[in-house]
Amino acid sequence: MGKNTIGEFEEILMLTVGVLYKEAYGIAIKEEIESKLKRKVSVGAMRTALKRLEKKGLLKSHLGEATAIRGGKRKRYFVVTPLGQKVLKEVMDTRKQLWESIPDVAFDLKLI
Amino acid sequence: MKETYAKPPKIPLHFLRWFCDPDMLEDIEGDLTELFGVRAKDKPRLAKIIFWLDVLIMFRPGVIRNFEYQKLNNYDMFKNYLIAAWRNLMKNKRFSSINIFSLTLGIAACIIIFLFVKEEQAFDAFHSRKDQIFRLCEVQSFPGTNTQKVALSMPGMGPTMKEEFPEIETYARFWSFRNQPARVGDKHFMIDKVCGVDSTFLSIFDFPIIAGDPSGNMDGKEAYITRSTATKLFGSIDVVGQQFEMDDDLLSVKGVLEDVPDGSHLQFDMLCSIYLGTDDPADFDHRFGSNHLNTYFILNDGANLEDMAQRYPEYLSRMMDNEDINDFYKLFLQPLEDVHLASTDIEHDYNNHRKFNGTYIDVFVLIGVFILIIASVNFMNLTTARASTRAKEVGVRKTIGALRNQLFFQFILESTIMALIAFALAIVIDFISIPSLNILIDRDFSMLQFVSSEFIVVAFLFTLALGIVTGMYPALYLSSFRPVTVLKGLKSGEKKSLFRSSLIVLQFGLAVGLIVCTLVVVQQLNFMKNKDIGYRTDHIMVVSLNYDARDNYQQIKDELLKQSSVLGVTASGQRIGNNFHQWGFKVKKDTGIVDFTPSNVVVDYDYLDVYDIKLKDGRTFSKEHAKDNGLAFIVNEAFAKEIGFEDPLGQRVGHGWYPDDSLGTIIGVTEDFNFNSLHYKVNTLSMVVHSDWGYSEMSVKLNGSNIAQGIKEVESVYNQFVSNYPFEYEFLDDHFAELYKADNQLGSIITIIAVLAIMIGGMGLFGLASISINRRIKEIGIRKVLGASSKDLMVLLSKNFGILILISFVIAVPFTWIYLAGWLEGFAYRISINPLVFLLGGVMALVVAMITISLHVIRAAYSNPVTSLRYE
Repeated sequence: MGKNTIGEFEEILMLTVGVLYKEAYGIAIKEEIESKLKRKVSVGAMRTALKRLEKKGLLKSHLGEATAIRGGKRKRYFVVTPLGQKVLKEVMDTRKQLWESIPDVAFDLKLI
Repeated sequence: MKETYAKPPKIPLHFLRWFCDPDMLEDIEGDLTELFGVRAKDKPRLAKIIFWLDVLIMFRPGVIRNFEYQKLNNYDMFKNYLIAAWRNLMKNKRFSSINIFSLTLGIAACIIIFLFVKEEQAFDAFHSRKDQIFRLCEVQSFPGTNTQKVALSMPGMGPTMKEEFPEIETYARFWSFRNQPARVGDKHFMIDKVCGVDSTFLSIFDFPIIAGDPSGNMDGKEAYITRSTATKLFGSIDVVGQQFEMDDDLLSVKGVLEDVPDGSHLQFDMLCSIYLGTDDPADFDHRFGSNHLNTYFILNDGANLEDMAQRYPEYLSRMMDNEDINDFYKLFLQPLEDVHLASTDIEHDYNNHRKFNGTYIDVFVLIGVFILIIASVNFMNLTTARASTRAKEVGVRKTIGALRNQLFFQFILESTIMALIAFALAIVIDFISIPSLNILIDRDFSMLQFVSSEFIVVAFLFTLALGIVTGMYPALYLSSFRPVTVLKGLKSGEKKSLFRSSLIVLQFGLAVGLIVCTLVVVQQLNFMKNKDIGYRTDHIMVVSLNYDARDNYQQIKDELLKQSSVLGVTASGQRIGNNFHQWGFKVKKDTGIVDFTPSNVVVDYDYLDVYDIKLKDGRTFSKEHAKDNGLAFIVNEAFAKEIGFEDPLGQRVGHGWYPDDSLGTIIGVTEDFNFNSLHYKVNTLSMVVHSDWGYSEMSVKLNGSNIAQGIKEVESVYNQFVSNYPFEYEFLDDHFAELYKADNQLGSIITIIAVLAIMIGGMGLFGLASISINRRIKEIGIRKVLGASSKDLMVLLSKNFGILILISFVIAVPFTWIYLAGWLEGFAYRISINPLVFLLGGVMALVVAMITISLHVIRAAYSNPVTSLRYE
């Protein structure tokens, strides 16, 4: 795990960026999360988180085309960096390990 | 371009653009616009609100751009300026201390002047209706006497004017009954200032009440007393309803008032009904003829004084049933504020505590401005004169990239810091010096009050402004240096500075003016002190005579004359030193009886002897002549001249109420003596003996060698005959000191300020001389080598400063002359301005200047050229 720990919201953002692949810009990410995870995302919170991830080197971004609907402003597309992929994988592995080490009894009890 | 997108509201957009990190702005703005567009399709208004919210949510760390970078930079520079300023102060301790100390003196003087002015302006200001209160005054121009303004009015004027003039809302009369004996049980007291007033008095004037009925309504059996009177009489202040005897009246306390503050022109210890002073109250409200009390009015807001003044003559002639009355009387209303500050030309102004010449306030303010200018000039001059020492710094700063306005700010900051240090020191100095100053000018200033009031903030801001203003010129000058020139080592702008020279001229012009003013004012004050006013005032003790004392006057006098230290005893109806009351007078001429109104005083037979008043002609009063009691008059020269007889002796004259066929005779003519203050010309005067009237004051001439012994003797004799009433006396000298108090205060202040002015100016010159002479040290060396003598060099070095002071002298003379001539106008007896005074003032300034620079001049002139020329 090391120093590149990420929070839950950051993880979701990164995964969504991955899902959207080449279409991952602000609004698209927001809508994807809102539709798939059924949770509200504020532009402000999302944008700062994206910036933070970029600063950590887990995401990188570039400016795309300008469209009229955006008042002539360009979109910023995000892509997961190799480091980002590694971190995501680590997170998943950690989870998996933890899942696997849960004794059956622990959850079975609840089922009764 | 066509609008293909929904425009989001402008205000939040601008806000976003302002705070957003420029790296992120484009995509954030795009995102928000896009979202807005989508939302606006359905619900445009809601979309706007959400856009607002979105932008506000954006306003968070991480999105906000970094404002800090700029601030940090400024802070560091600011710190650097402070360090540079401090080092510069420390490096040149001499100049720093001259700068700061002269400003300190200037500010300290200004604070004191401010306290003075503020105290004067706060006088009488505690009455809530002060702007509506007016005092009724008269201009009297009786035949045979000087035209005079008087503060007194007639008893009938208040009530009838209120009826006649709709502008007058209410009136109150104030009649001083002087001191009165009072009795509580079998204890006797003297109440100092007993005054009769109308029941409206307390509703016009706000004298705070501690207990009792605040209305002020009083019948003849009630009285209001002050806190200290209550304590004196009853030993407590909880005395409403208690009774005491005064004269033959039994009075009950209706209310207790707070002691009258010193800042009130009306002073009293007890108020009673004004009708106690008359035997015929019904007639009193319509009584005309004699002016003996003060009348105050409350006017309606819209009252027009000029308009009212046009109706006075008609009113007066109707009331007094006399067509010609307006030849003698002109009424006018004086605003309350003027009662204290603009009554110096008003006579018979007995109820005007601590009255002050308001024009002196302007003079003090002017002087305060002068002293600040003089102090500021030092700062400007020394800073610019020493510009070369800062030139390298300016060059380096500019090379590194300082802008001119940054340097300007730096130097302004430096001067502001100095001003603030001076301000702090000034407050310390004032704290130390005010107690002794209070004694000197008889005031009661308090620095503590100043420091704890909002004025300290004003003073602080003023000091800041002063720092900025004085720093302006040096800052402009210093920041204008061109780095190339100064860093090359070329001396820039070392020419004689016209600006600097004119500042010195200004400084010394003011100093010369102040010195001359001091000399003239002190001369005039001395003149007044030493003028032979025609009678003696030293070692004369005036003792008030009341009741028993009045009745026993003759015995007291006989007994006193047996005492070793008593040289003479006499008595009079009024105290000498103020104008005496004017009464109607009759003079029999060939053409018939002529009316005439001189000042009058009732005296004892030996009055002229005790006061050493010189007779010019005729004889003094004598008991040998039976007619001398009431039918013999001694007049002064002015009187004799006015009635125009070649030989006044033996002429038939008499008081206005004497029947025409039984007039008295003039038996003597005295030289003119100044029975009034020296501000006024000697008026016509008639003296008469009425031994059966009783005297109100006894004058005892003591042997000057042992005054204390004398007082003791007089007191013991007095107590022998008067058991009930305490012994009260004053020395005539003190009475005169009181008369010229405002003038003396002006004298003290102007002297102090003149000394400060020349000191500050001298300090500045000292600094400036050292700079300019240091700069010429090589020149001096070369001149010496070529054979100039030390004397030549001294003349050379002093010449410039001498010329400047000469110029300032020439400029200062006419202004000073004009002002002083105007000031002296206010005195009927005055010195003429001696041109030598100006010369003396100029020479003094020159001498001070030369002495201050001489240290540098002599050192330079005698210096060894080897030392100054060794290095090149």
